[in-house]
Amino acid sequence: MPAEDMGKLSYRTRLTFAVATVVCVLVLAISPIKDFRSEWKHYKRSFVRFAQGRPDTKKLLADYNSNIDQVWLPGMNVVDRCTTCHQGMMQPTLTDASVPQPFRSHPPIPHNVRDWGCTICHRGQGPATEVAEAHETTLAWEQPILPAHYLQAACGSCHHADLNETPQLARGRELLTRLNCQACHKLSDVAKPMLGPDLSSVGYKVSRAWIYKWLKEPRTVLDKDGNVTVNGYENGDESRMPKFRLKDEEIVALSAFLSAQKAKPIESYKISPAVVAAWSKKPDLLPQAEVRFRQMMCTTCHPLAVTRAGEIKLIGGNIGPELTKVGSKVNEEWLVAWLRNPQGYLAHNNMPRYGWSDEDLYKVSQYVMNKLTDSDLLTTVPKLEPPTDEQIKNGKRIFLEKGCASCHGLEGVTPQRDFGPDLTALGAKNASELEFGKAKIQRNLLSYVQAKLQDPVAVNPAARMPQYIWKTDDLDAVTTALLSQTGPKATSALQQLVVPKTDVTYQAVGEFAEVYERYKCYACHRFNGYGGTLAPDLSFEGSRAQKKWIADFLKNPQTIRPTLILRMPQFNMTDKEAAIAADYLAMAVQKPDVNPEGVDARQFTPAMVTMGKQLYEVKYQCQSCHTIGSAGGYVGPNLNNAGNWLTPAWTEAWLRNPQALQPDTIEPRRSLTEDEIRALTAYLMTLRAGIKPQASASLANGHANGQGAGR
Amino acid sequence: MKMRNLAVVSLLFCAVALSGCRRTAAIKPNEAFGVYDTEADWNDSQKLVKLGYPESQGKRIFYQYCVWCHADASPAGPSNRSNLSPAPPLLNDGEKLNGESDEFMQNIITLGGSAMGKSPMMPPYGKTLSAAEIKAVIAFTRAIAQPPYQRPGRPGSQYATKQ
Repeated sequence: MPAEDMGKLSYRTRLTFAVATVVCVLVLAISPIKDFRSEWKHYKRSFVRFAQGRPDTKKLLADYNSNIDQVWLPGMNVVDRCTTCHQGMMQPTLTDASVPQPFRSHPPIPHNVRDWGCTICHRGQGPATEVAEAHETTLAWEQPILPAHYLQAACGSCHHADLNETPQLARGRELLTRLNCQACHKLSDVAKPMLGPDLSSVGYKVSRAWIYKWLKEPRTVLDKDGNVTVNGYENGDESRMPKFRLKDEEIVALSAFLSAQKAKPIESYKISPAVVAAWSKKPDLLPQAEVRFRQMMCTTCHPLAVTRAGEIKLIGGNIGPELTKVGSKVNEEWLVAWLRNPQGYLAHNNMPRYGWSDEDLYKVSQYVMNKLTDSDLLTTVPKLEPPTDEQIKNGKRIFLEKGCASCHGLEGVTPQRDFGPDLTALGAKNASELEFGKAKIQRNLLSYVQAKLQDPVAVNPAARMPQYIWKTDDLDAVTTALLSQTGPKATSALQQLVVPKTDVTYQAVGEFAEVYERYKCYACHRFNGYGGTLAPDLSFEGSRAQKKWIADFLKNPQTIRPTLILRMPQFNMTDKEAAIAADYLAMAVQKPDVNPEGVDARQFTPAMVTMGKQLYEVKYQCQSCHTIGSAGGYVGPNLNNAGNWLTPAWTEAWLRNPQALQPDTIEPRRSLTEDEIRALTAYLMTLRAGIKPQASASLANGHANGQGAGR
Repeated sequence: MKMRNLAVVSLLFCAVALSGCRRTAAIKPNEAFGVYDTEADWNDSQKLVKLGYPESQGKRIFYQYCVWCHADASPAGPSNRSNLSPAPPLLNDGEKLNGESDEFMQNIITLGGSAMGKSPMMPPYGKTLSAAEIKAVIAFTRAIAQPPYQRPGRPGSQYATKQ
């Protein structure tokens, strides 16, 4: 190149520079364009447009800025940028469903976003600024957002005690207890497991054919309409024994092994021959026996299938096992011994020890053995040869291999503990920690848990877990409860937020302890937070009821609530037992600020009574819920005998503030003046009815569930 | 040619740089994401009504306190509705309740029927339930109403508002 041309650039060089410059500028422009087009900025801008289309623009945009918003809570490991897009989160006017997402405000809950952030409850990735990264499972982040339907799992990861607001979680935890998941798995804060029956003497109770049938065909099946049925009857509840995947020879061996279990002989009882002779000849023995069976109120605890209007349905409580076909299951000698003393066969069980007369015992056992039967039950069972030693030996091996001793006690066999994996931190697991096998499901924790519950072998062909049958609601509830098991918290600040579950127990003392244990009062009633929920809470019974009434009621329980078909059984208590119980209940279970002697009924005047009647019938219209005589509503208890039943002090305190005495009662608190309270009490105390003999209880009422009205 | 090489290199460079701008795939709408709870339509058990958090709390309170008189069956079986005259409206009765404002509903539950010129058989729940709980019950009413409830909106406004 000549020297004079050195400073000049050729056309070609200049063109090259020009192109390179344009490319360079273009490339440099990518970054701001990309930034401008980022998802979060898009939502920022659309929120402004959205707010401008509304009358309250100024208020909505008061806190607006164009940057990323975040909630930063260092102690709790929270860096949540969710409010960058969810900008209406704390705007009270954006609650309506017509507000487009992501701008809708958060429904009112006890926790504020500023103090808690979002991911503590919703999970997902807080620092993310892209929709998919924040909500879904990605390579970098394996915990997707918790779908709203299972959100109560998040409440449960801190609130180990049940909350009113989380019924699905509470149901899930109840199922974890009822289905005895803790027998094999470690779980935190789930109530004490209820074990399956001890099988040490099962050979005396049932036949080998029945055991074969029980293991071969699950009692519980899912029919073609998706209804769960037990023994072919639709059941509002769940069954407890799941189906194990057993081969025929395994069932033969197991039934041989179990039918040979005869550790403790039956406490045989011979019903007086005079009673048997008198009743066995009567043509109406069975109808009479049925009447007695119903009067005993066995259905308060045990469900039973009945035909109502051409439809077979299960009625009765869910405390004890279903009895529709029990006559084809147990042997008669065992039944009589069981009815007299259930704890003689199973030391830990909640069936009360009734005071039986020989006549009742004969009638009820005859009814069970002859009427609660199914002649077809065992027809599908093949002929079983007498058990061989080989079969018994194999049976024992299978019993242990399948983990039967996790739920069932057996003499000479050590209970199997922690047979299944520890699930206390299942809810915090990442997808990479789970074994999906060949299952064609989404690779996330939620899908895994549901697939495993529905069919354990789908995700792991070698699974030992038996097959449960679920109604959709129950499956979702158990999934929620399992997802709430997130193990120890990541930081101590978070750990301090955990509301632990407190275990309560109630120990009766003195002579009453024996009565309490014999009649298993706690199976249905609650004492200071301990016990069943089927029947009224008795924590303050001594303040509420008069002592004489308690004693009379125990001897002859009357139904106080007209709609209930689940009633207190007649235990045939002795006078002494009833007196001990009445003494104890009247003295030991009181509400400290309601002194039963605090209001003197003698000061009530006829004028007060007249005024009270007027208030009851006209001003407050109490008859819309309560019955007096034969008229009135049946939401609250029948008040026919209020004067003999309730103490005046309790009645006054109740009228003043029912929820102070019983927090979950549905009777609303009213604004009564003290004069009105006194007058209503005076009127109620005049209502007295003699104790009539108990009318024969009828099962004609086909409604199965009496719970709820008891409050 | 040098020129062509340059163009190719710069185009490739652009392509690589621009590939970073690819929009991430949009998330697939999963129905369960947005549904906190459901209630079977009272007139058609096959149809499910979707409930958000407030409506589901209203459902819980309804089935504890109100179901006894405002439904045809209660958890204990028979309904108390037949004992009452005038018969209380069923909770899903849109023809009766859609016309009532949220304010009226809040008042009648809080203060009782007699305070609002209705049947004194409706007791006041203002001292038993909190205002938020009563609001939740109203939200549940609106969610299950048949015919469906239309929130009164401002005419001409794109988004109905409720203060």
